[in-house]
Amino acid sequence: MNEKKTTTNKTLVELATFFVGDALCGMDILKIQEINKLMDMTKVPQAPSYVTGILNLRGQIVTIIDLGKKLGLGSTDATLNSRNIIVSSPGEHVGLLVTRLSDVISADTDKIERAPANMGGIQGEFFSGVYKTDDKLIGILDINKVLRIEEQGH
Amino acid sequence: MQIEDDEILQGFIEESLEHLADIETDLLAIEKAGANIDENLVNKVFRAAHSIKGGAGFMGLTVIQELSHAMENILGMIRSRKLVPNPEIVNVLLQGSDKLEAMINNIQSSNDEDITEYLIPLNAIAEGNAVQPAAPKPAPEPVVEAVPEPVISEAVIPEPTQQAVPTPVAPKPDAIVPPAPTPSSLVPAATANITPPAAQTPQVKADTSLRVHVSLLDSLMTLAGELVLSRNQLLQTIGSNDLRNAEAVGQRIDLITSELQEAIMLTRMQPIGNVFSKFPRVVRDLSKQLNKTIELTIVGNDVELDKTIIESINDPLTHLIRNSVDHGIEMPADRKLMGKAEKGVIILKAYHEAGQVVIQIRDDGKGLDGEALAASAISKGLITTEQALIMSDKEKVNLIFLPGFSMAKKVTDVSGRGVGMDVVKTNLDKLGGQVEIVSEVGNGTTISIKLPLTLAIIPCQIITTSGERYAIPQVNLEELLRIPANQVKKRVEKVGNAEVVRLRGNLLPLIRLADVIETERTYWDQEKAEQKEDRRGSIADRRGKESPFFQTSNEGQEEENKPTTADRSVTDRRFAASSALNIVVVSTSSMKYGLIVDRLQDSEEIVIKPLGRHLQQCKGYAGATIMGDGRIALILDVSNLAKMARLTSIDGTDRANEVALAAAELMRAQKDKQALLIFRSSEHEQFAVPLNQVERIEKIKRSEIEDMGGRRVMQYRGGSLALITVDDISSVHPLADQDDLLVIVFNICSKPIGLLAIGPIDAIEITTEIDGTTLKQPGIMGSIIIDAHTTMLVDVFEIVQTLYPEWFAEKPVFEVDKTSGVIPTILIAEDSNFFRNQVKNYMTESGYKVIEGADGAIAWDLLQKHADEISMVVTDIEMPNMNGFELTETIRKNPKYNNIPIIALTTLAADEDIAKGKAVGVDEYHIKLDKEKLMACVHDYIKRLF
Repeated sequence: MNEKKTTTNKTLVELATFFVGDALCGMDILKIQEINKLMDMTKVPQAPSYVTGILNLRGQIVTIIDLGKKLGLGSTDATLNSRNIIVSSPGEHVGLLVTRLSDVISADTDKIERAPANMGGIQGEFFSGVYKTDDKLIGILDINKVLRIEEQGH
Repeated sequence: MQIEDDEILQGFIEESLEHLADIETDLLAIEKAGANIDENLVNKVFRAAHSIKGGAGFMGLTVIQELSHAMENILGMIRSRKLVPNPEIVNVLLQGSDKLEAMINNIQSSNDEDITEYLIPLNAIAEGNAVQPAAPKPAPEPVVEAVPEPVISEAVIPEPTQQAVPTPVAPKPDAIVPPAPTPSSLVPAATANITPPAAQTPQVKADTSLRVHVSLLDSLMTLAGELVLSRNQLLQTIGSNDLRNAEAVGQRIDLITSELQEAIMLTRMQPIGNVFSKFPRVVRDLSKQLNKTIELTIVGNDVELDKTIIESINDPLTHLIRNSVDHGIEMPADRKLMGKAEKGVIILKAYHEAGQVVIQIRDDGKGLDGEALAASAISKGLITTEQALIMSDKEKVNLIFLPGFSMAKKVTDVSGRGVGMDVVKTNLDKLGGQVEIVSEVGNGTTISIKLPLTLAIIPCQIITTSGERYAIPQVNLEELLRIPANQVKKRVEKVGNAEVVRLRGNLLPLIRLADVIETERTYWDQEKAEQKEDRRGSIADRRGKESPFFQTSNEGQEEENKPTTADRSVTDRRFAASSALNIVVVSTSSMKYGLIVDRLQDSEEIVIKPLGRHLQQCKGYAGATIMGDGRIALILDVSNLAKMARLTSIDGTDRANEVALAAAELMRAQKDKQALLIFRSSEHEQFAVPLNQVERIEKIKRSEIEDMGGRRVMQYRGGSLALITVDDISSVHPLADQDDLLVIVFNICSKPIGLLAIGPIDAIEITTEIDGTTLKQPGIMGSIIIDAHTTMLVDVFEIVQTLYPEWFAEKPVFEVDKTSGVIPTILIAEDSNFFRNQVKNYMTESGYKVIEGADGAIAWDLLQKHADEISMVVTDIEMPNMNGFELTETIRKNPKYNNIPIIALTTLAADEDIAKGKAVGVDEYHIKLDKEKLMACVHDYIKRLF
C-alpha cells in the first residue's frame, strides 16, 4: 500500500512465473502457499482427468491438479523440474503441477492487458490478462477460475 | 441494544441455555407428578427461571426478563401449592421456555421480540383463569396495514409509524388492538437498528465449546509432557545414531501416542442422554396433538458417543421417534379393540454391543406390514413384482428405506413431510451407522441403529489393488476370503449376470474392485512378489463391468505362471489364475458382498481425512488417510461401491443366494413345469407325451404284435391291447424297423391303448414354452426344444379319436344341452399360449363359449366385466401378476362370485398344492392335457348349473 502512495504512483504486483508445457504463465505470488517438488502422489481412480493425484502435505491431503491438462495444454510429466504450486482454496489446499518454474517478476498492474480476444477456447477462460516484459509474454492465471470450474462439470 | 461486556454476556447465554435444557425435562416430570408435587423439582425450575430473570435484568434484556418473570410467577404458585400443574399449564410453561431459548440464542435482537402471545396465557394462569394457549396472534396484520400511509408522508424515518399504529388501527372494528409495541420494542427503532429483524428462522445449533473434566485435561497435559520428553530422547538418539535405543524410544512414543489418542477421544465423548433428553417433550407434544396416550421410556442415558455422532444422530432419531408416535402407535380406541393397553409404549434404549453403540427404538404399535410396503413399493415403481415375490418379510419391511418411499397413507404434518426414511438412512450411513427394522404386524416395531463409538479414528483393513493401497473400514468388514486357484472354478459361479462365490452354502455376490473404480486389473504374483498387469482386463473393456470374470480371461496370468494347464476347458482357462482370489467380504446395512482385491494386507487404525472438492464426484471413497510411510491411501465406501457396481440394495442382502435361486425358480415358475416322457418312433425324430397321461411302459418284441383286421393289437393282461403309432395319422417317419420295441400304455375312454415306440426313453421336467404352431399337425400338439433336440409333443387323444372314433361314440356325449338356449361361457386363465389354446379347443369343441385371460389379473378383470355370462373359471396355477391361488382367493372373497365353480389346472398335481387350492376355494384339480377328465368335470359342473 505504501508503494502506491510513494514515488511512482504505480501498483506493483509480484508475479511468480512458470511454464505449463511451453506456455509461460504467471500468478500473484501472494496467493501461493508454497512450492514443492513432492511427486509421490496417490492416484485416485475415477477422479477428473486433470487431477493427477493426492499428496500428503504434512498431514494434509492436497489434491494435485495438472495445470497443463486443466488449461488444455496437454498433460504435464513429472520430471526433475516439475513442481507443485500449492495454493489455498476454500477449506483446503490444492496443488498445481507445472512443468518448471521461472522467475519472479514485478509487474506494473497498469501494464497488465486484458487477455486478447483470440485467446479463446479452453485456455482463454482461465487467464485474467497478459503481461509483456521485454522479451516475453506472460499469461496471468485467474486462479479462482482454475480452481472453481471443475465443480460444475460433473 | 448495546451490550458492553461480551464475556459476561456469553456466560449468561451458556448458563441460561443450560438452565433451559433442564427446565424442559423437569417441567415434564412436574406434569407427570400432577398434584403430587415434588417440591425439590419445582424449586429447581423456579430457581432456573429466577436466575435467567436476574441475569437478563442485569444485562438489560428486558423482554427475556419479562417472560422469565411471568414463568417464575406461575412456578412460584405451584411451589406454594396454589396451583396444581396440569398439562395446559405445563404447555404454556414449555412454550415459554422454548421462546426464552430462541431469544437467548439470538440475544442481540431479543429485545425486539414480541412475547405477548406467551405473556397473555401466563398472566391469565397467574390470575387464576386457565386460558388456552393464545390463538394465532393477530398482531402483525394490522401493523402491516397501518404502515404504508405514514411512510409516504414521513419519508424515510420509520419510528413515527410505530407510534402511529394504535391510532389508525383502533377504529377498525375487526382489528384487535395489537398490544405489540411494548416500550422496549421502540428502543431499537430509535437507535439505528443494525440487526435485521427477521431472526425467526431456526438456527442449527452446533456446540462450539465443550465441557471437559479437569482430571481428563490433567492427564492430557501429563501425556503431552511425556511426548515432549520422548521427542527429545528421539532427537538425541538420532543424533547419536544409536539404533537399539531408537527402538526403545519408538516403543515409548507408540505407547504415549495411543494413550494420548484415547484421552483425546474421551474428551469428545458425550452421553447420549444429551440427545435423548429432548424426546420426552417431543413424544408428549406429538401424542397430545394426535390424541394418543404414549409413554416413553428411556434407557441408557449415560452411554457415551463421539460428539460429532451425538450431534448428527439427533435428526434421524427425532424422525424415527416421530414416526413411532405418528404411525406406529394406534389411537387409544383402536388399541383397546385389539386388546392392548390404551397407553402405547415407546422404549428408547442405548447400549454397548461388540464395540459399537446400539440405539433401539421399540414401540408396541401396529407394526409394519411387509406386504403392504411391498405393494406400495411396486405401485410406486420402486421394485418389480418379481423382486417383491422373492423378498423375505425382513426385506419387505426394509423397503421403507428406499428413496421415494413414504409409508403414511395420508400425509400428516407430523411425519409426512416429504423426507422419508431414506433420509434417515442416508444420514446414518454417513455416520457409518447401520439401521435395521424388525416388525411384527400388530405387535410393534423395533428399529435398531448401530453406531461406531467415534468417527475420527477407525480401524481399517488395508488392501492393495492396481498397486495402490486402499482402506476398508473394519465396521464394514465381515471376513477375508482366499480362494486357492484350483478351487476358483468350483466356487465361483455365475447367477444371471452376477458372479457369486459359494461361501458356506450361501452365494455371495462378487465385485472386482479394479472394475468398479475403473483402474487397470492387476494381480499379485506371489512367487516373484511383484505386481503384474492383468492384460485382458483393460479399462476399455466395458463388458468387464457387467461380468468381471467371464468375459475377460486371465490368459496373461496363465501363460506366465501355469503354461501347461492340464484342463483346458473353457471355464477352467478363465479361472486358472496363478494367484488365488482374495476376497474381502463386506457388509453394509442392506447387503453383503465380496470385493475382489489383489492383496490383503494388515489391519490398521487410521485417521480419516476428507478429500478435496475436486474429488467429491468420486463416490467410491469415504475419504483418505495417511499411511505409515507418508503416502496416502483412499478409504473405500463400500455401500457406494455396491451402488456403482449396480448391486441393488434390496436384493443383495445376506440372502443373496436365496434371492438368486428364487429368481431362477421364479423364471421357471413363470412358465409351467411340464413333466414329459421322451421317446422316439423313428431314429430321427424325438417325441414326447405328457408323463401324467402315461399308464405304464412295456418292453415287447416285434413278433408279439399281431395284425388283425387291419388293426395292430397285442395280448396284454389277458385282453388285447390296441396298438397305434405316431405315423398312423401324422406325417412323420415310420416306426423304426427293429426287434425291440416299447409300448407306452395310455388309458383313453377307460380303455387301454398302446403307442409303439423305440428308445431311448427318458422322463424330464421342462419349463420351456411349447410352440403350438410351427410343427402342429394331426396327432402333434406342438413342439419344444429339449437338450437341443426339437421334440414333437404327441396328442394321443387325437390319434385315438381319429383311429377309433367309435370309442368316443360310446361315451356320453359332452355336447352342451342346447335346449336351454344358453351357451355357457367359461373363463380360462392361463399364461402359456399353448396350454391356453389347447384348453380352449377342448371347450369350444364341446360347444362352450370361452373367454381367455393371459394371467390371473387379466382374468379377474374379465370376470368382473363379464360377470353375468361366465359360468365357470378354469385357471392355471403358476401365472405372472396373479397366480391361480390368488385369483381363486380374489374371486371367493367377493360374494357375488361365490357360486362360480373354479377348476384349477396343473401340470404336476402336488399334494400340498391341492391342499392349498382347496383351502382358497378351488373346486376341482385337473391335470393339464388330460382332456377327458377335465371335460367330464366341466360338464358335470355345468349340468349342475343349468
